[in-house]
Amino acid sequence: MTGHTVRLQTLGKVTSCRGDQSLLDAYLRDNVWLPHGCTQGTCGSCKLRVLDGEVDHGNAPAFTLTPEEREQGITLACQATPRSDLLVEPLAEVSDDGVVRHPLRDLTGSVVVLEDIARDTRRVVIELTEAMPFNAGQYAELEVPGSGVWRQYSMANPPSETHRLEFHVRRTPGGIATDGWVFASLAIGDTVDVRGPLGVFGISRPQEEPAILIAGGTGLAPMKSMVLHALAERLVPELYLYHGGRTEADLYDGDLFRALEAEHPNFHYRPCLSEQQWDGATGMVTDVVLEDFESCKGMSAYLCGPPAMVEAAGKVLKRRRMAPRLVFKEEFTDAADLAAAGAPLATAS
Amino acid sequence: MTAVTETPAWIAEITMAELEKDPYPFYERLRKEAPVAFVPALGLHIASTRAACQEIGSQSDIWDGVISPAGGRTFGHPAVLNVNGPEHDELRGMVDPALQPSEVDRYVDRLVRPIAKRYVEAFENDGHADLVAQFCEPVSVRALGDLMGLQSVSSDKLREWFHKLNVSFTNAAVDENGEFANPDGFIPGDEARAEIRAVLDPLLDKWTVEPDDSALSHWLHDGMPEGQTRDREKIYPTVFVFLLGAMQEPGHAMASTIAGLWTRPDQFERVVDDPKLIRRAITESLRWTSPIWSAVARVNKVDTTVAGTFLPAGSVVMLSYGSANHDANAYDAPSDYDLDRAPVPHMAFGAGKHGCAGIYFASEVCRIGLEELFESIPNLERDETKEIDFWGWGFRGPVELHANWEV
Ligand SMILES: Cc1cc2nc3c(=O)[nH]c(=O)nc-3n(C[C@H](O)[C@H](O)[C@H](O)COP(=O)(O)OP(=O)(O)OC[C@H]3O[C@@H](n4cnc5c(N)ncnc54)[C@H](O)[C@@H]3O)c2cc1C
Ligand code: HEM
Ligand code: FES
Repeated sequence: MTGHTVRLQTLGKVTSCRGDQSLLDAYLRDNVWLPHGCTQGTCGSCKLRVLDGEVDHGNAPAFTLTPEEREQGITLACQATPRSDLLVEPLAEVSDDGVVRHPLRDLTGSVVVLEDIARDTRRVVIELTEAMPFNAGQYAELEVPGSGVWRQYSMANPPSETHRLEFHVRRTPGGIATDGWVFASLAIGDTVDVRGPLGVFGISRPQEEPAILIAGGTGLAPMKSMVLHALAERLVPELYLYHGGRTEADLYDGDLFRALEAEHPNFHYRPCLSEQQWDGATGMVTDVVLEDFESCKGMSAYLCGPPAMVEAAGKVLKRRRMAPRLVFKEEFTDAADLAAAGAPLATAS
Repeated sequence: MTAVTETPAWIAEITMAELEKDPYPFYERLRKEAPVAFVPALGLHIASTRAACQEIGSQSDIWDGVISPAGGRTFGHPAVLNVNGPEHDELRGMVDPALQPSEVDRYVDRLVRPIAKRYVEAFENDGHADLVAQFCEPVSVRALGDLMGLQSVSSDKLREWFHKLNVSFTNAAVDENGEFANPDGFIPGDEARAEIRAVLDPLLDKWTVEPDDSALSHWLHDGMPEGQTRDREKIYPTVFVFLLGAMQEPGHAMASTIAGLWTRPDQFERVVDDPKLIRRAITESLRWTSPIWSAVARVNKVDTTVAGTFLPAGSVVMLSYGSANHDANAYDAPSDYDLDRAPVPHMAFGAGKHGCAGIYFASEVCRIGLEELFESIPNLERDETKEIDFWGWGFRGPVELHANWEV
């Protein structure tokens, strides 16, 4: 398919985008970084104003891209495809924050590790044929073979390992990629198509503020990468990792984090169980954080997991007076959240 | 005056006290039935619709700036509001340089952020505050006070001055002979003015021989021939304009922004979570409760008809920008605060040659102030046990704003 020319007004960067390709995809592949988050149409951080030309809004949900915004020529870069040559401008500031970004690329790899690590949770390690440089906290998309369905999973390995990507996948009942593939037919040696890296969540630069990391379920995946990276590079003065589950059956990689805790006096690991009494912390992970810190002023936080947990954690940190601009969030939204956000149903992939 | 006899009863009977408590119902009717109307209680015309304010405000070839009688009584002549042509150009040439956006960008963060931090720190561990008295007003006066060179004047004194000048400036009621109905209302302003001169004269003496980078030092020296300074009788009326409106309004704007957001808890939460939305929140608040609600006027040089009302040359028309910003022809559900409303420009900074000189400075003061407040106390909540009373017709904002938070 022939490409349309897309130009970013202020940066002046020009790229070529196919009629079936999202504007975000075209730019990231061209190593031009644009603000984005979920690549699913739910977070709204990729909004662009179309100054000239015409786009197809694709599967942009009405909740994220309102009819008024469409009228004003705003679109979601991760959903929109060009219908003509375009002149566009991101709504969010594209500032140089000193973080090195890696271009989006297509890769293939084969499954070398597939193991059950917790209740309904599998570790999948994919050995790539080529390197995929990324930043700690970013994610990649995996294709459910032959289906054209892509799903987002965060890298759990540190960014120093660019050939072997580790993912933690939680089973969603009735889910196409999980119930229907990772927890069904997937086997060691299988070839998997991967595209990445994507996302802005994570720790890549030194920071002065102590950091609280709060993970729910497989929200631990990006945190593992970030903890390993931050400790190795000494990026954060003090690091607190909270991992929430219902019972001990939901926790994993505890030995690794306890070993890191023994080795690094500035790292603290705090697993929390909401439905089991044990010698560790008991209660919702957010309540445990609330009890542990009298004040979170001057600290920063990274939150990852199901949207409800991320929201609850954000509220708790606010109560403890952490500055909202220092709270970073990655929500594991899925097809059900997308449907709730008003995405066109037929094409919810 | 013929206009008086034609005045409908509901306009003839309106009082200042009613307007100051809640001007909106009266103005809603004015916009519908009499967009440009003579109001006997004030002895002048009022323009209430967006179209009429826009037309009169921006047509500087027909309409000169003029100060309301109570304003003139309070500030004296020549205040920047009350002069036109070359005399106005000179005063704007005096006040504008420090307020140009590129110039403001140079100093504003360094100036305002430490001030805002300091005032938040003073109460952040109390768990409650009246944000008007403890934050919005002090930040507003300290920022401009320091810019002007008034570091030696306490924030409480600057607040006292603008409150007193406000009382006099808005003491607008006249009797049937057009005389001030309440002459004693000017006493607080006269007191403040005398005190201001007693404090400022020595400072101006000092700057005359030792110029520095403060705004008032520049007012003395800029554009003057070597060895001469601007006559201070030419400066003082505009100093009073600053010590009232420019000191008071960013505080009103910050307080109204918080009060507006508290009517929409979801929007309040969004703004606290995403400080980039603070600018938009301020803009909507300026529309929703315009700080300079009805304080400036124009006078026509030639016979004119506006919105169907014939105005012979020399007619004084007060521009009620606070009403223009509630014009249903421009804004859906205008009395609702709504961060997400379609961005139709508001008129809170006025229009034309006499439009506000401090737009950028004021907006930045408010933005930085609210950034610091929400950053330090992101769990800020409205104290539901206390009412939020807005007051004022000339100038309008919340009287007190009580907040609680967990410490
Ligand atoms: C940035 C990001 C990073 C992520 N990282 C990880 C990770 O590291 N680990 C991890 O486990 N997960 C992660 N996720 C979630 C992951 O991408 C998948 O969404 C999740 O695994 C479910 O995929 P699925 O194909 O199995 O389920 P889907 O087929 O997408 O279905 C999900 C649920 O929605 C329901 N559903 C489907 N369609 C509809 C509809 N039209 N209406 C209502 N309900 C519907 C299904 O029944 C099911 O319950 C991440 C998500 C994002 C956005
Ligand atoms: C949010 C706060 C403020 C609001 C809402 C506001 C609004 C206004 C309005 C409505 C006018 C009259 C415009 C007209 O006649 O059409 C005005 C005039 C003026 N304002 Fe502001 N103002 C604010 C803050 C400031 C500040 C901080 C300064 C200075 C630092 C300032 C300086 C002036 C001056 C000098 C004039 C007179 C302009 C003239 O007559 O030529 N204002 N302002
Ligand atoms: S990246 Fe486009 S909506 Fe999230």
